[in-house]
Amino acid sequence: MKKAKWALAAMPFLFVCNAAQAGGGWPQPKGWGFFKLSEWWVVSDQHFTDNGEIDPNTTMGIFNTSFYAEYGFTKRLTGVLYFPFFSRAYMNNTISGTTGETLIPGEAINSIGDTDLGIKYGLTVNKPVAVAATLTFGLPFGIDNGGMAGSLQTGDGEFNQMLQIDAGTGFRLGKVDFYSNLYAGVNNRTNGFSDELRFGFEAGATFWKKRITAIARFQGIQSFKNGDLPAERSNSTSIFANNTEYLSFAPEIAYNINEKWGVSASIGTVFYGRIIFASPSYSVGVFYKLTK
Amino acid sequence: MRIRIWSWLFAAIFLGGCIGDDIVDDFVPPAVKIMNTVDTLALGSTWQFDAKYTNNIGKEETLPVQWASSNEDVLAIDGSGLATGLAKGSVTLTTKVEAGGEMLSDQWPVVVGDETVVSSGTQSGKIVSTSSYLLEGNFEISEEGNGIKIFISDGYRASTALPGLYIYLGNNKSSISGNGTKEIQMVQVYSGAHSYQVDGVGLNDFKYILYWCKPFNVKVGEGVVE
Repeated sequence: MKKAKWALAAMPFLFVCNAAQAGGGWPQPKGWGFFKLSEWWVVSDQHFTDNGEIDPNTTMGIFNTSFYAEYGFTKRLTGVLYFPFFSRAYMNNTISGTTGETLIPGEAINSIGDTDLGIKYGLTVNKPVAVAATLTFGLPFGIDNGGMAGSLQTGDGEFNQMLQIDAGTGFRLGKVDFYSNLYAGVNNRTNGFSDELRFGFEAGATFWKKRITAIARFQGIQSFKNGDLPAERSNSTSIFANNTEYLSFAPEIAYNINEKWGVSASIGTVFYGRIIFASPSYSVGVFYKLTK
Repeated sequence: MRIRIWSWLFAAIFLGGCIGDDIVDDFVPPAVKIMNTVDTLALGSTWQFDAKYTNNIGKEETLPVQWASSNEDVLAIDGSGLATGLAKGSVTLTTKVEAGGEMLSDQWPVVVGDETVVSSGTQSGKIVSTSSYLLEGNFEISEEGNGIKIFISDGYRASTALPGLYIYLGNNKSSISGNGTKEIQMVQVYSGAHSYQVDGVGLNDFKYILYWCKPFNVKVGEGVVE
């Protein structure tokens, strides 16, 4: 069952659902905002093991319908919300190929998902390099042990706090606007989960009369492995497992319908993973930019 | 118009979240096996043999069983499996079951001698990983109390990366559901010697020790009982 190392894998929600042209080292100007309604999903019948190989599993799926918002309270202070108001996790039926009988009936749960609430502070404003610090609270609104085996989850059941530093810069070449952003953060997790180092780099270009924005996004998670072993937890599955690690590439394309409205689509792929689904995640959304 | 398009798109994605089917290739060859065996039967005494038929998914079923002795003058056996030692010597017992138009059989050598010797009460095997997760060791199974005791020796190691590793006894190494597989318990020892007492089962009831990640329904490893 060993497959190519360049596999596709799911990634935790927030990073995928963040919209094009939002976030990074740039806080929203006062009274401005960015709002996005999106659908993120992954369906996977395989996962990265603890040694990076790929093994099969019963097909499981997670679908998140979420609302993402950034709003500038002041020129330096921006509120950030990621709210998956409908999250669905399911597991397929297991059917005997010999008798046709259902060996293990499939299950599904529906709930609100784990929610992120954050505040971003612009350390530099109107400077060549925009630097911002963001404190995010991960609120465990989801279900962490649904289904007969407790393996269906729409959340990890822990309250986490992440402090992140972003540094971004933008420039123009001809008729194309470019930007790049680098970030690193420490995620303090509770309830026996290991803390994490999160990091990433993204670069984007807006072109074709500012209609199209293309983004290349690289992200990673390194677990400190200072929490419980997965074997010590019954609620350590799917994308909510403990000691998860990955390096990912997630391209995104956004189409600006007009100055305020746009749509976007992205795919999440992983080329290094530990204890996480090994199938692509997808996201589509519609966003609105509040400007003055 | 745009709202309608997005509504349809979101609806399509929701429909993608419907529960589907995963098909498991769980076929195993049907088999009949002589149970409750003796190596030697004392002259003039009787012994009740049993036979167990397992179907094409390894599940036990009750079907009419035929018994035969290779030498009725040495050891006679009736239709219920009751054998009588009539003269000193060696014979081969045969049991047959007709299943799905196919005749299945099993054989067992028996000596008629001075005293009855029940067949060895110990079986053993090697635990191997069938996945990318660490699992290795050796085991012995013996009758104890009202069932069997599985002793796993010192060289045993298992991955701690699985959320819910369980150990089972079964006759189908591809599936643990719907076929009479017996769940022993969640694994709580990940290295070193330990044992499991399993009541209500016989020494020859199962062909495999199975290790399964229950939440993901993934087979992790197996040990063939020999």
